[in-house]
Amino acid sequence: MQVSSIMLVRQNLTRKRARSLLLVLSIGIAFFVYGVLSSFQAGFEGSEAKAERLVVVSKIGGNETLPISALDQIAQLPEVAAVTHITRLRAHLIGNERQIIGANAVDPDSYAAVYGDTYKLDPALLAALAADRTGTLVGRTLAEQQGWQVGDRVTLTSFVHANSDGRNWSFTIAGIFDGREPTVDTNFLIVRSDYFNTALQRGRNRVNMFGIKPVPGADPAVLAETIDTAFANSAAQTKTQNETAFLSAFLEQFANVSLIVRMIVSVAFVTILLIVGNTMIFAVRERMQEIGVLKVLGFSGARIMRIVLAETIVLFAVGLALGLLLTSAVIPLLGQALRSVVPELYLTTKSISLAGLLALGFALLTGFLPALNALRLPIVAALRHR
Amino acid sequence: MPNDTDITLTHVTKSYPLGKSRIPIFQDLTMTIPEGDFLAIMGPSGSGKSTILNLIGGIDTVDEGQVAVGHTVLTGMSDAALTQWRAAHIGFVFQFYNLMPMLSAAENVELPLLLTPLSARARQERVRTILDIVGLSERAGHLPSELSGGQQQRVGIARAVAADPKILLCDEPTGDLDRTSADEILDLLQLLNRKLGKTIVMVTHDDSSCRVAKRTLHLDKGKFIQREEELMVCR
Ligand SMILES: Nc1ncnc2c1ncn2[C@@H]1O[C@H](COP(=O)(O)OP(=O)(O)OP(=O)(O)O)[C@@H](O)[C@H]1O
Ligand SMILES: [Mg+2]
Repeated sequence: MQVSSIMLVRQNLTRKRARSLLLVLSIGIAFFVYGVLSSFQAGFEGSEAKAERLVVVSKIGGNETLPISALDQIAQLPEVAAVTHITRLRAHLIGNERQIIGANAVDPDSYAAVYGDTYKLDPALLAALAADRTGTLVGRTLAEQQGWQVGDRVTLTSFVHANSDGRNWSFTIAGIFDGREPTVDTNFLIVRSDYFNTALQRGRNRVNMFGIKPVPGADPAVLAETIDTAFANSAAQTKTQNETAFLSAFLEQFANVSLIVRMIVSVAFVTILLIVGNTMIFAVRERMQEIGVLKVLGFSGARIMRIVLAETIVLFAVGLALGLLLTSAVIPLLGQALRSVVPELYLTTKSISLAGLLALGFALLTGFLPALNALRLPIVAALRHR
Repeated sequence: MPNDTDITLTHVTKSYPLGKSRIPIFQDLTMTIPEGDFLAIMGPSGSGKSTILNLIGGIDTVDEGQVAVGHTVLTGMSDAALTQWRAAHIGFVFQFYNLMPMLSAAENVELPLLLTPLSARARQERVRTILDIVGLSERAGHLPSELSGGQQQRVGIARAVAADPKILLCDEPTGDLDRTSADEILDLLQLLNRKLGKTIVMVTHDDSSCRVAKRTLHLDKGKFIQREEELMVCR
């Protein structure tokens, strides 16, 4: 695009200001819908899921458990850098069955080795937990939600697990941990499995899952295969998945969020494609004669094409900027409102660059076809066009 | 040897489709318009006057025969090549001006200069000079809608000569103007022909155009006839 042709782009954009404005607005709204929904999706799925980390659960699924003894066998595999086990307490806040609290009994050191990339479990926090058998480390989001401080005593009631006093479990908050990134969900707490396991009345030495960090360069898919084959003929058959797959399978139990998001966003985009495409067809057709004149003046087809494309690119760029600005203005408010559903709404750089690509693609599509149509008309016919 | 801008039509046949048949416009038309000529073409509506200009300007093509300007044979050239050639060699002036409605007078004149390697500063310079020649320096910033018909046509002529082509093709340039404005336009064209050496081919219904033209030809039923008596009147 020559700088000098800018005046032609400008004249086309300003010839019907109301029309350009409406186009920019409708594009902006579509990208606003996209921005909000993809922030919602990013918040819902969390960015803590890592494609290279693996999760081992019982092949039978649901709340079936695996024997903790499987851990040693997994740890011996050369592709495994670190492995840890997790047992869900499946508990609610004492006296309030509706207030479910995510609580996991873990071995803190191996847990930190596997999930240290996601949660800031620094040595001081681990030491504090090591000093108190009934201690707990609470995620920042959960602590803020409940107004908990270090040193507070927290009592949870498990739906299933009992100790000698019944199903109530009390812990002292030894520390509060953060995610390594703002999108990481920290709406849960961890307690020591050595304490939990020995206090259990029934079902000792059983865990809900193993988390695995493969050695760098190992193929997670191959490792998953190796593990499942190793346990294929045991009493506890396993199902090993990477964490992202595990998490989306888990989420789909509730709702196929990404499908819903994709559907709504597609509808929004198809609608603006139709609106902008249709408008551009008319806009180009009404200046057919001008295009004829430009050709008479010696403007090449390619040059005229670039002028039309620049017009739609400007429309989409301004609309995109508008939509994303609106999104970033709205998601903090929306995040407050949806706090119980989604830890945090977050416009990721990935969503932004995808939006940029989509905008560019749409601009080329909606500009190219009408312009091509106009360029195919012979000059003499274009000049006669009214 | 032809001059650089001698225009030659050789055995040109041209027809337009009408339903299944074709209406012939010219059959075996041969003519030469020498460099520096100021030719006025008159004739009844539909006789093919505009078609001749379009053929010379390379925006329409012959069925048979050949159109050449100087050593350049237009017949058979690709659209892209014709477009490029036209930018450098031809200026078109239209009856209804065909200015870009959202661009100022100066910007309209600048348009063809965008196709030259001139810098922005050089373009501005040139636009100013040309607006001065056509007497519109005062109106440089005005939109076409803010100009009279005569002024718009002067912008149209300024645009046609901006890139300094040797040939001007004018299709009824005074057809939409009152007498006074029409005379001003004719004077301007005469100036461009006599002082700046532009070759001008002008289609017109205006009888007084023979006042400025060097030759007047009448087109009728695809043939040119020279009406000697008219030439006498004008001399
Ligand atoms: N693109 C076209 N398709 C079909 N017929 C055409 C086309 N262009 C011109 N014609 C026909 O060719 C004939 C000559 O047209 P042209 O425009 O050259 O006439 P003209 O002498 O300029 O007429 P006027 O004085 O009305 O402008 C007319 O009968 C016209 O209808
Ligand atoms: Mg005509």
